[in-house]
Amino acid sequence: MFFWKKAKGERSKAKGLDRLSTSLEINVKWLKSNLFADDDTIVYRHFRTKEPQARQCVLIHADNMTKHEFLSDYIVRPMMSSSLPKELQGRRLIQHITEQVIQSDGVAVFTDYNKLAEGVVAGSGAVLVEGCNHGISVDAQGWERRSVTEPQTESVVRGPRQGFTEDLLVNVSLVRRKILNPALKVKILDVGLQTRTKVAIVYVEGIASKELVDEVFQRIERIETDAILESGYIEEFIRDSPNCPFPTIGHTERPDGVAGKILEGRVAVLVDGTPFALTMPYLLVEAFQANEDYYHHWIAASFHRTLRYISFFLTTSTPGLYLALVTHHPQLIPVNLSVSIAAARKNVPFPAIVEVMVMGLVFEILREGGVRLPKPVGQAISIVGAIVLGDAAVSASLVSAPMIIVVGITGVAGFVVSKLNDTAVLIRILLVVTSAILGIYGFLFGIMGIMIQLASMESFGVPYLSSLTSLTIQGSKDTIVRLPWWRMVLRPRHLAAKNRERLQRKSRSKTK
Amino acid sequence: MKKGLARIFLLCTMTIVTTGCWDYTEIELRDLVMGAGVDAEDPKVIVITEMAKSIGVGQEAEFEPVVLTTDARSLTSGAHNLANPAGMEIFWAHAQVFLVSEEVARSSILQVLEPIVRARDLRSTMYLLVTKDCTVEEVFKSKPPLVDGVSRHLASVIRLSDVTTDFIPQQVWRFIGDLSSPGISGTLPGVELVHEGGALLPVVRGAAVFKLDRLIGWLSKEETQILALLKGESEGGFFVMDTEVKGNTFPITYEFRGSQFQTKPSVDGENLRMKVSLSLQLGVAGVKGADVDFSDLAVVNDIEGQVSRSFTRRIRDFLGLIQEDYNSDIVGFGQLLWRQEPAIWRKVESDWDAVFRDLPVDVDVDCRISFTGFHAQPIKVRN
Repeated sequence: MFFWKKAKGERSKAKGLDRLSTSLEINVKWLKSNLFADDDTIVYRHFRTKEPQARQCVLIHADNMTKHEFLSDYIVRPMMSSSLPKELQGRRLIQHITEQVIQSDGVAVFTDYNKLAEGVVAGSGAVLVEGCNHGISVDAQGWERRSVTEPQTESVVRGPRQGFTEDLLVNVSLVRRKILNPALKVKILDVGLQTRTKVAIVYVEGIASKELVDEVFQRIERIETDAILESGYIEEFIRDSPNCPFPTIGHTERPDGVAGKILEGRVAVLVDGTPFALTMPYLLVEAFQANEDYYHHWIAASFHRTLRYISFFLTTSTPGLYLALVTHHPQLIPVNLSVSIAAARKNVPFPAIVEVMVMGLVFEILREGGVRLPKPVGQAISIVGAIVLGDAAVSASLVSAPMIIVVGITGVAGFVVSKLNDTAVLIRILLVVTSAILGIYGFLFGIMGIMIQLASMESFGVPYLSSLTSLTIQGSKDTIVRLPWWRMVLRPRHLAAKNRERLQRKSRSKTK
Repeated sequence: MKKGLARIFLLCTMTIVTTGCWDYTEIELRDLVMGAGVDAEDPKVIVITEMAKSIGVGQEAEFEPVVLTTDARSLTSGAHNLANPAGMEIFWAHAQVFLVSEEVARSSILQVLEPIVRARDLRSTMYLLVTKDCTVEEVFKSKPPLVDGVSRHLASVIRLSDVTTDFIPQQVWRFIGDLSSPGISGTLPGVELVHEGGALLPVVRGAAVFKLDRLIGWLSKEETQILALLKGESEGGFFVMDTEVKGNTFPITYEFRGSQFQTKPSVDGENLRMKVSLSLQLGVAGVKGADVDFSDLAVVNDIEGQVSRSFTRRIRDFLGLIQEDYNSDIVGFGQLLWRQEPAIWRKVESDWDAVFRDLPVDVDVDCRISFTGFHAQPIKVRN
């Protein structure tokens, strides 16, 4: 009880200090010595309104966060050229200025220092007038923006060349331009106690289920952390199965990707400061889908899908299967091949398991080394790695030639399913270990373990394997094959349960 | 978390401890057997294996065959003894052919088959062959002209059975089936060594005739051709027959293009008969200078008649050989009876050898020359 009283007393005292004073000088002094102490980028522009009732004013803004010309054209110039009626004071004076003097949008009135400071650091201009304990904040954000370019991680041969930028509102506008429908809803939250990062939740009302939208809201609102610097922070906070390497929230840099997902009933989360938008729920099939699948002929797209599934199998299983066959079951390898593998391995000093592990590790090192280097150097790394190291290792009998092929297949196939690349590495290691211990039996044991894990996972209440395990044509129309658009009658069952029809009756066959 | 870890630990321990698959062996530490065989040297047997020895390193790695022999009291112990001279764990699963010397086959082939079936890593899809007039060791030490290794050579020759009827390939499991089924005796293809350009070459031809588990005699290449026809295993091959056309006799080469074959038992009171109907489709592969006009239907019909008669005669001779000389039912008349007329089979089963020896067989051959090569008329040399 005592503590509570004390706390309450302190708070009210602080509240008293927060409020603006009527004296401009005190206000500026307080700001300079408290909230904006030791900050040299805050600009205080002092000016006077027109005689005879000239009043001292100050415009406060953060350098380079605002548009200078905008501030001088629409705030400073009109205020300097208008004379304020003498009888107006306080709140009424401020109202007069916002309604009759300042010519820009985004005008708000505040009465305490914190509001002023929040506005200024977010790129607004704040106007204080002598003798008035109210202030006006005007939206004048104007900082350097990257232009809308094609995303490097998801480049396409056919499809729009737009990618998200680091600016939230630009990103929202990119999505909105894809879906010109008032049902597209954008809710913006501030997340991060220090960073106050703007996070937009985007969905199509009537398609996305209300429960899903509420769930996303609640999970994001529950985040209380210092900083959200990238959407990956949010992803980790709100995802299902946080310890599983399989992604349960998708990310994309492409507005068309986001538009496609939310039109199927998903929810997208855009975060200020990063071009990567999150989409949820995320199912395993989505890792094998690419935007281009929907722009190319459906047979070609289905072929590419199939390739991705095969590649995923190859990149996760080749080393494990090779090890199981070579060390446990040479009888399953054709005679000539087993003889030539035996011949190739004759002078290699390490057991096959060490060979597989070390070569796998070397490959991952080369990849990691190449990823973050500037492009020309990265190419040099891959050439050194692939040609020089591989060839030299074989001729020095450190590794056998078949092993190079195994690592090569594993690596190249891994790039085909880039969304699961990190996951594939872990699965590969697991399968290598189980295969080394128990051969094919161990390999299958590992696969079963992974399947059990996948079958038990959910993403925002949707089973992770749904669609893949569907037995109907409509349920599996967009999985390993992509059916033509005129066959995609219904939206996915688990995502848009209440509003499923997306193809109108007259379009349900090829329209010439 | 602790509970989860404990569960994972328990699962891993159980899988590793309770399974018997601990079989991690590096492939280069296994000696891959390509083929094997047994010679007899009373009272011992000699076990011969052909193994793949790798030469060269890295990308230039190749392999060459190495023949190892050892004598032992039994095939199994001999096979195990071989590990010592080989110096590595012997890996049998890749063996493709298994050779048995005539001597071993004459005493009893069971002493070879039994260990093969019992051994866990020997495959019953191996091809069985019997050496004729030579030992297994001599065959393995001969030099095939194109392929490295006798076993690979024999395996690739056996794969030719689609286009030749010189022999009928026999895998271990099928031969065992023939041995244990009622009313049929087994045959195995024979291997001979032939002098060719100063070297000895292994050649697969003919068939070893078995009665129960013992070899009792041989069929020639031509007789094997008839056996293949009667067993419905003929898929190709050529033969030459002296054919009379308009008063002149020419050797004409014919090609098998297909055959339909039917054997029917018929019972007339106490008398059991077999009716063999064979319909042959032949092509003409070469006429060797004969002036034969194949567009003349009468000529073709005449030739067809001659071929039919010739085959009828050959089949009769063949049946005489196996019924009277060998008295071994390698065509499987008894098995047919067992399947189609089980009541009669039960009556004659105990006395099948005698019944088979005197079994009357009606042979009916219908021959059609379906591919005469109209476009390839015989070359006419001007006078």
